[in-house]
Amino acid sequence: MKDCENISESMGRWLDGELSPAESESIRAHVAQCADCGEAQRKLEKLQLALEGALMAESKSIEFEPFWRAVQLRIAEKRTWYEDALDWSRGLFTASRAAWAIPALIALLLAVASLESYFPGWRGGAGRNAFAAVDSIDAHGRNVALLREYDSKTTVIWLYEDQEGENETAEEPPPPGPAF
Amino acid sequence: MKLPKNLRRRVLLFSLLSFIVAAGRGAAQKQPQIVQVKIGTILASNKNDEFDAKLKGLENQLRVLKYRSYRLLKDESQNVPWQGSKVFEIPGGRSLMVALQEFQDNRIGLKVRLTEGQKPLLDTTVRIANRGNFILGGPPHEGGVLVLSISAVAQ
Amino acid sequence: MELSDRELVQKCQTGEMSAFEELVSRYHQKVYMVILGLLRNREDALEVAQETFFRAYRKINGFQGGSSFYTWIYRIAVNLAIDAQRRQKRNPLDFRESMDGLLESQDEVARDPFADVHDKELRQNLTNAINDLTPEHKAVIVLRTIEGLSYKDIGEILGCSEGTVMSRLHYARKKLQDKLSAFL
Repeated sequence: MKDCENISESMGRWLDGELSPAESESIRAHVAQCADCGEAQRKLEKLQLALEGALMAESKSIEFEPFWRAVQLRIAEKRTWYEDALDWSRGLFTASRAAWAIPALIALLLAVASLESYFPGWRGGAGRNAFAAVDSIDAHGRNVALLREYDSKTTVIWLYEDQEGENETAEEPPPPGPAF
Repeated sequence: MKLPKNLRRRVLLFSLLSFIVAAGRGAAQKQPQIVQVKIGTILASNKNDEFDAKLKGLENQLRVLKYRSYRLLKDESQNVPWQGSKVFEIPGGRSLMVALQEFQDNRIGLKVRLTEGQKPLLDTTVRIANRGNFILGGPPHEGGVLVLSISAVAQ
Repeated sequence: MELSDRELVQKCQTGEMSAFEELVSRYHQKVYMVILGLLRNREDALEVAQETFFRAYRKINGFQGGSSFYTWIYRIAVNLAIDAQRRQKRNPLDFRESMDGLLESQDEVARDPFADVHDKELRQNLTNAINDLTPEHKAVIVLRTIEGLSYKDIGEILGCSEGTVMSRLHYARKKLQDKLSAFL
């Protein structure tokens, strides 16, 4: 039975003449003495005959001159650039490529979106989030100032010294506060 | 163009994998193991026009304060464990306590307390960009004022 | 003395239109028959056959001679026919009607082994079964049946291996046999 299975797989190649002489002879010898394989050969040959009948019978000779004139007309016509682009894109965007391109594009977009976590400050550092955000300040009764300088993206918390002489040990009075 | 039957499966699989990777990175951002906190202690004054070359990287920020002279007194780094705190010694008998509060959207939340001896001078909570800084200044020192550059880097 | 295909191609590449005309003359019938086998409609097949030679003319300078001219031209023809099949929006009923009309209006038939009603029914069922094949499976059946091309040549035309040609032929024939088991 194993022989019959193998021969069933090779029957088409045998009838198409695609086997070596040794392989062909081996199959021919088996088919000659096996009723089932002989029947399989008969069916395949009948199918081939039917295919030739169906496909060859449809073919009608086409006249060369009108055909050639039509081809010349196409050659003479100037195709627009977008017709060429459309033809090019039809070949480019095949279904199998789309099956990989779409998931790859999604993965790429997600990777770019999360790029900041891999390369912090890759956008140049001084982006809009470079300012420090001050959520609370308690100067315990002293004066305090909060400054944001946009050019250098600097956040400054400035603590003014108590004016009522707390710092009596200072050798000289401190300079006035920053001139911002 | 007729799409192959397994396209939906591939799109879902890739999207799921990408989402898991992105979410994992996002989750990883919430809790850095350690944050390196760096305090640059600077003396700003109008005594002269000296600008310490070591402060070149902070020049643009320091010029905002409009003092004529800037000198680096001390540059100290300490690794602060997550939700832990460290104390930095500041000239003039002062100390700066820095505690980590949170890490979100690549910003580090810090709680900062400046004290003079046992007396609190300033308490503030700040969120700075990872690898960013802010300036805290004003306490008088040696004829000038102290300016502290406080920066943090998540490890 | 008749020039070879390769010599004619070289002349085309220097701009000799007469050389291209000779190539069209040699292959237009074969190309048309293969495309007709795939598209099953005469007008569409004529249109695609003309487009095939138009495309060949535009690409002739890029033809390096790595394959024979006929496998190259068949490759263009089969690709265009497969594209056309995918764009065809006719329903199966139209196919059957057009094929019945096509077969019955034949004036010149190479051979007609089907003389009785049973065989006519087989032919109609076979036509439907062929149309149900995928474009790739239909292509191997048509190229093997009409042109008698080797698996190697078919593989060159379709851009696949001999093994793939073999398995597609095996699958297509099995499928046709299953659908026509009552008649075979």
